[in-house]
Formats: sequence, structure tokens, C-alpha cells
Amino acid sequence: METGDRNLPYVSSTPILSCQDLAKDFFEGRKKTTILTDLNLQVEQGDFVTILGQSGGGKSTLLKLLGGFILPSAGQVLFHGVPLKKITSKIGMVFQENTLYPWLTVEQNIGFGFKIRGKKPDQYAAKVNHVLEKVGLTQARQLYPQQLSGGMKQRVSIARSIAVQPDVLLLDEPFSALDIQLRRQLQMFLASIWEDTATTMVLVTHNVEEAILLGRKLIVIGDKPGRIIETVDISQQQFRDRYDNDFLELQRHLESVIETDVNTQAALVKAGETR
Amino acid sequence: MGCGLLSCAVLVGLWEGVGSNSENPITQVLPPPSQFLPVLFESDFKIGLGSQAASIYQSVAVTLVRVLLGMAIAFIGSIFCGLLISLSKWSELFILPILGLIAPIAPIAWVPLALVVFGISNLTAIFIVFMGVFFTLTIATVAEIKRIPENLLMTAQNLGGGSFARWRWVIVPAILPGIFTLLRLNFIAAWMAVLAAEMTGLRDGLGTVVMTGRNLFNSDLIVLGICIIGISGFAVDRLLLLIQRKFFWWQV
Ligand SMILES: Nc1ncnc2c1ncn2[C@@H]1O[C@H](COP(=O)(O)OP(=O)(O)OP(=O)(O)O)[C@@H](O)[C@H]1O
Ligand SMILES: [Mg+2]
Repeated sequence: METGDRNLPYVSSTPILSCQDLAKDFFEGRKKTTILTDLNLQVEQGDFVTILGQSGGGKSTLLKLLGGFILPSAGQVLFHGVPLKKITSKIGMVFQENTLYPWLTVEQNIGFGFKIRGKKPDQYAAKVNHVLEKVGLTQARQLYPQQLSGGMKQRVSIARSIAVQPDVLLLDEPFSALDIQLRRQLQMFLASIWEDTATTMVLVTHNVEEAILLGRKLIVIGDKPGRIIETVDISQQQFRDRYDNDFLELQRHLESVIETDVNTQAALVKAGETR
Repeated sequence: MGCGLLSCAVLVGLWEGVGSNSENPITQVLPPPSQFLPVLFESDFKIGLGSQAASIYQSVAVTLVRVLLGMAIAFIGSIFCGLLISLSKWSELFILPILGLIAPIAPIAWVPLALVVFGISNLTAIFIVFMGVFFTLTIATVAEIKRIPENLLMTAQNLGGGSFARWRWVIVPAILPGIFTLLRLNFIAAWMAVLAAEMTGLRDGLGTVVMTGRNLFNSDLIVLGICIIGISGFAVDRLLLLIQRKFFWWQV
């Protein structure tokens, strides 16, 4: 597959995706709930950023903001330095929920990005074959989503997004519904895709191990309201080894960071209630 | 299926048992199959007298074509109109209530009007079926479009699809199974409406067979007509079910 290689000369110093003072509120009637505040974040071209946070902490919301699926209440998202106003095929998204089209087979789902742009099947068959092979689903190409296991569905979703070669791929807890074995397998699979295609990736997870294992940059989002409470650079090799001491130490550190945040926030809430 | 056949066989057996006694008053109005089926063969599958006579096949075919054509037009038309209506919030606000008002009108109620406007023609029958199905299906189309998970649409946009492409390749396939199910459920009403039209105004079709029987005081013919109506209605329902399983099997 021809790719925008990380080492190509046109790669400039502006981050491919960034956000400035980003905030998002949701309203229930008159009542305003702030989900995210003061988010500043930079994603460099070719990087792999993992975003770690509690369940319900606003991770999906952040990812939707970064992809232009929803608009921020304050601040802005910049894509190639330009404010992002709407959904673009340059920023692919693998949603947390299953979004495969149930009436299409695996190969039709993967080719959907071409079909919906009005391409003829023989124009994209080769690409689809290539991607099918890469995700190891050549055998399953004729199956419908309802005939697939959870792990296969996730692979098809990822394949469908990478088939159209986005500049950035956003992944919302793609493996959280899977058992450990399959999860590890797919983590390796995603890492290999990242290495071959050099697509910039932003992956959201609530699994600390996964965040360290995959990310080159790790961001921890605190809860209520969601904001960045820790940023870690983890480009060294030892963080790819789950049993390495550095890995375990970082894992313990991050777990305590999250726990402390939860406790402080809970104490704040309690103080607010008693007052 | 097997159990259904068995219970049908038992029913026919009972019917024959009661009917074998020709003194029984029930036999006068409800002759058993052994009595009315020969009518088919004796009359060379022709029903009626002189120029009005039509073969049984013809009657069945005429009625089926009317119902299926009316339903097909209503199906396509309602999907098209539903898509148009759901384009704008305003049309939903203004047009949907009108449709909601027309939809509950029983299709049979359109018979006199259709006869006046279209006269005694196939158009009358097709119009009645159409009116019986179209409004309900249009309302359902709008509702089905609202029910489509937003993520499916956002994914299509994310993969580079423009708004027309999203209509064509996501919205339409997502709503088809639901609309078709409803079409199937509405078939019985459409079927009854056409038969009513055939009994009251039109001069051919299955409903006319029963009326001819009445005019000739021939209860064999009446019961024969009723049986054929039942069997062909059942067959069409099965056919629709088959189409649904084959072509519109998915759930969004
Ligand atoms: N469209 C919306 N309207 C109102 N509230 C919303 C909306 N979307 C999300 N929320 C709220 O925002 C909060 C964060 O939601 P979000 O889905 O971003 O969390 P998350 O971190 O992805 O959680 P999970 O790990 O369970 O996926 C939740 O409390 C949720 O109720
Ligand atoms: Mg989420």
C-alpha cells in the first residue's frame, strides 16, 4: 500500500491534529454539565497517541470532537492547522459501538468507502483484497456482520477505515469488549498496521496496560470535568514489553494517578454536598 | 408446517363428516369439499354464464395482479415520499399530521369514490390497494429514518459519502426491512379491500366468483370462491414472507 511515509520531506512541524482550550458542555434542559474543559493537546504526524481515562469520563466525547463529529462549546480543533468544522474522510473514526452495515458482507463493508464515493467495484477490488489480507479476513469475505465474532467485527471496522487511507485514525475503545487473549492479538495487529501504513493514530481506552503498550504518547484524562491530568512520552522500547520493570512501574504510577484523581474529585463533590 | 397441514386435514375431515348427511341444514349453506370441488372440473374451470364467464385461473390472476401492483406502487411511492418528507423538519410538522389523518381510513371506504372516479376498471382496484397501504407506509418510512443509528450515517460521511450517496446506500437499505414487514402486515387489509370492490362494483376477479354464486343461488360456487380466496391470500402472505427472508432479512 502506498502511504504517506513518516519520513517524507513535506512533514512540517505543525501538528497534524491539535486542540486549544477545548471544552464541551451538555445540557439537560437548563442544567449544564461540563464534560471536558481546558484541553490542550497536540498530535504529531505519524504519532500514536493513547488517551486513558475512567469510564464515563468523556473520552468518546473528546474523540468525537477531534474528528469533527460534534462541535466544541469553547476552543477549537485544528487539523493541519485549520479549524475543523465538520466530518472529513481525512480523519477516520472507528466507533465504540458496532457500525458495520448489516446488509453488506465483510468485503462490501470494507469497500463501502469507495462505493459511496461512486467508484465501480473493479476500481477498488484490488485495494479491498489487499486490506482483507492484511487483517486476515480473506476467508470471511463473504460473511455478513451477524455471522462474525466480536474480534472479527472490530477488524472489519478498522479495515474499512484504513482502506480509504485517512491521515488520522481515531479509535474509540476498539478492543474493550474482547477477552484478554484476543485483545492482545488485536493490539499487535493494530501496532503492525500503524507500522506499515504510518497512519497517525489516536486511541482511547480505559485499560492502562493497553495505553502504555500501544501509545508513543499517553494522555490521562481526569474525571468530572474531563481535563488532562498527566502526559507521558513513552517512545522507548521497554514499554513494548509488558513484563519490563519500567513498564510495570509506569503502569502502577498511572493507576495511582487515576485513583488519586477519582478520590479528590469524590472528596470535592462530597464537600460541595455538605456545604 | 406439518402440524398446520394436519390440522387442516382434520378440519376438512370433520367438514366432510358433517356434510355427508345431506339432510343437515349446514350442508345447504356449507357444502363439503367433495361436493363443491367437482364444480371446478364439471364447468371446465369456468365460472359464470355466457359472456360473463371467466376461468378460475383468470379470476385469481386478475385479483392477484391488482393487489400486488397496488402494493408495489405504494411501497415504492411511500419510501420515496417518506424520504422527501424527512428532508425537512417543516414538512414533517405539516405533512405528517395530514397523513396520520388519512391513514386510518379503511381501504374499503375508498371503494365508492374510486368507482366514481375511475369507473369499472383495474385502476379502481389498484387505487384502493394503494390508498390502503400508502399512508401507513409513508408514516412508517419517516419513523424508520429517525430510528437509524446516527453512527451508521456518520460513518458513511466519515468514509467520504455525500448526502445523496448516504441516502442511496445507507438510509434506503436501513429502512427497507421495516417497511416491507409493514407492507406484509397491511396486505390483508389491501386484499380485503380489493375483494370488496370486486363484489360490489367490478366485473371480474375472485370477489366476482362469490357474487356469481350468490346470484345463481349456488352455494357450491360460493364456498368454492371463499376457499380459493383463503388459499390464495395465504399463498401471497407466504410469498411475501419468502421475499422478506430472501431480500430484506437484516435488522439495523
Ligand atoms: N449527546 C450527549 N448528551 C448529553 N450527555 C452526553 C452526551 N454524550 C455524552 N454525554 C455524557 O458525557 C459523559 C461522558 O460521555 P462519554 O461517552 O464521552 O464517556 P466515555 O469516557 O467515552 O465513557 P465510556 O468509557 O463508558 O465509553 C457521560 O456522563 C455522558 O452521559
Ligand atoms: Mg466511550
